[in-house]
Amino acid sequence: MAKPHRDLVRDYRQDLRLFGSPPARAGLVAMVAALALLPMVVQDDFWLSVLIYVGITAVGAIGLNLLTGYCGQISLGHAFFIGAGAYVTGWVGSDLPLYLWLPTAALVGGLLGAVIGPFALRLRGHYLAIVTLGLVFIGEHLWRNWRGLTGGNSGTSVDAQVSLGPIDFNRVELAGEVYSRNQGYFWLVWVLVAIVALLVKNLVRTRPGRALQAVRDRDQAAEVIGVRAGRYKIGAFVVSSAIASVAGALFGSYQQFVSPDEWNLLLSIQYIAIVIVGGLGTVFGSILGAIFVGALPALIDRFGDAIPGVRTSVGGEGFISVFALNQAIFGVLIVLFLVFEPRGLAGIWLRIKAYFKSWPFSY
Amino acid sequence: MERMTPLLEVRDLVLRFGGVTALDGVSFDVGAGELFAIIGPNGAGKTSIFNCLNGVYRPQQGTIALGGTRLSGKSPAAIAGLGVARTFQNLGLFEHLSLIDNLMLGRHHLMSTGMVSGMLWWGRAKREELAHREAVESIIELLELEPYRRMPAGLLPYGVAKRAELGRALAMEPTLLLLDEPVAGMNLEETEDMARYLTEVRRRLPLTMILVEHDMRLVMDLATRVLALDFGVVIASGPPAQVQHDPQVIEAYLGGAA
Repeated sequence: MAKPHRDLVRDYRQDLRLFGSPPARAGLVAMVAALALLPMVVQDDFWLSVLIYVGITAVGAIGLNLLTGYCGQISLGHAFFIGAGAYVTGWVGSDLPLYLWLPTAALVGGLLGAVIGPFALRLRGHYLAIVTLGLVFIGEHLWRNWRGLTGGNSGTSVDAQVSLGPIDFNRVELAGEVYSRNQGYFWLVWVLVAIVALLVKNLVRTRPGRALQAVRDRDQAAEVIGVRAGRYKIGAFVVSSAIASVAGALFGSYQQFVSPDEWNLLLSIQYIAIVIVGGLGTVFGSILGAIFVGALPALIDRFGDAIPGVRTSVGGEGFISVFALNQAIFGVLIVLFLVFEPRGLAGIWLRIKAYFKSWPFSY
Repeated sequence: MERMTPLLEVRDLVLRFGGVTALDGVSFDVGAGELFAIIGPNGAGKTSIFNCLNGVYRPQQGTIALGGTRLSGKSPAAIAGLGVARTFQNLGLFEHLSLIDNLMLGRHHLMSTGMVSGMLWWGRAKREELAHREAVESIIELLELEPYRRMPAGLLPYGVAKRAELGRALAMEPTLLLLDEPVAGMNLEETEDMARYLTEVRRRLPLTMILVEHDMRLVMDLATRVLALDFGVVIASGPPAQVQHDPQVIEAYLGGAA
């Protein structure tokens, strides 16, 4: 008997595979190889630190996309949970090993989400956005005044242990070679990006994730077929907050110092911009968006001198500060993508894939 | 059939919105295995009965019981868990989800994977996905939806979307299926297709159906009994042929004799 074509799906088990087709598997191998080799090729500390920040941002963006993209709840409070994760790490990171302080941060973030989540039960859309906006300001007040935890306005240093068994991510020794802190952190952060992405991808393709999306599309119809909408709205909020706290924990431990100015509304808006630019309701899009948007502030900061009209120092030449330029760019990106490419970078990526799948035919 | 204890007992249902009385003392029984049709002019209260049956509206008075279990006062999700499924007049599909996912959502209350085991995928979550996918595929086959599996529900052609919604309701493995105008807006050919699917479903599955429909030919062909409503009041009930010739029903539809 002739063997069926290897791409042919013959049972449901095959159909449910995440990386089912040969191109998808090749892509997976390429991504793993890039993850492993990139820090060896790019040894420049500036670029490595940009990629590390991008990775941390990708983790946070996946969390927000679960809430906003998959469950349809707009939250401006993401910065609050990121900040909470960073401070928790500052608090317990020096006493606990990596495999404990990271879950602790997630747990605290999840608990905070569970406390605030019930508000999300009654509100939706713009109303929830306003309530979560308040959260950012409550948070800022808290971070500035709870000196014991946050060090007040002047901030606090974060001294977290980052070793896992024999591997110390501050100084990775591999086959006789010693790698720098930035190289080590790149691996740590991007492995976590992969883990979080996989967990969320699994969530959204199984029963609870489908329920979230049903609530987003039509909450009344969801109730009528047996989905308890309130429970899933809170659940999405809890998981999203926990993931945001993981991002904050990584942020704090990498930066080794955090101050209350970092968890402001602009950070929340940056995350909104990332999930819109990347593509609402896609895990891969969150990562694409983080690469595209998350790298911008660092790049503008670095190359601000070369951009005409940008003021890089207080009282310097130019009509717009680096900070204001960032704000403006986020706003412009949100508007442009919502108008011209509502499905985001992930939508563009899908079109490219579809084009090559049907090539040489145009449809 | 009317000798058996009824599956569904509705007693003295009263539903008011402010000063408007949508349902005024509606009572009826539906026996197991029946296809019970509810007819009436626009605004007679047909869809309101459905909304009371599955808990979207809370009637001010009256009781609803399914197989002896009281439904009135329970939440829509709880009633779904007790085996009441419905389709919507203006389509209630989740438009960004694929047809498969829409049907899998019908099985939500039969599954148990939670957030954490869903994230981990391996083990129970995966076994459950596979088992329920098989069940969903048998419905896809029954309703001949194979070409549309991966299509987002929002992009399905109208007739197919109506059928997909029937599929999602069937995926719930209900004991009572509420069909709200399954052939509204369909042409003759599509209507006959839907009638064929409904007949096939009834033949294969042990279901009780309540049908709200304006298409009188479909009602007269399929229904075992008919209930006619006007302004929230029952004006006739009985076998289709009898209700069709009831003077009060004719008057409600065509207006009083001049």
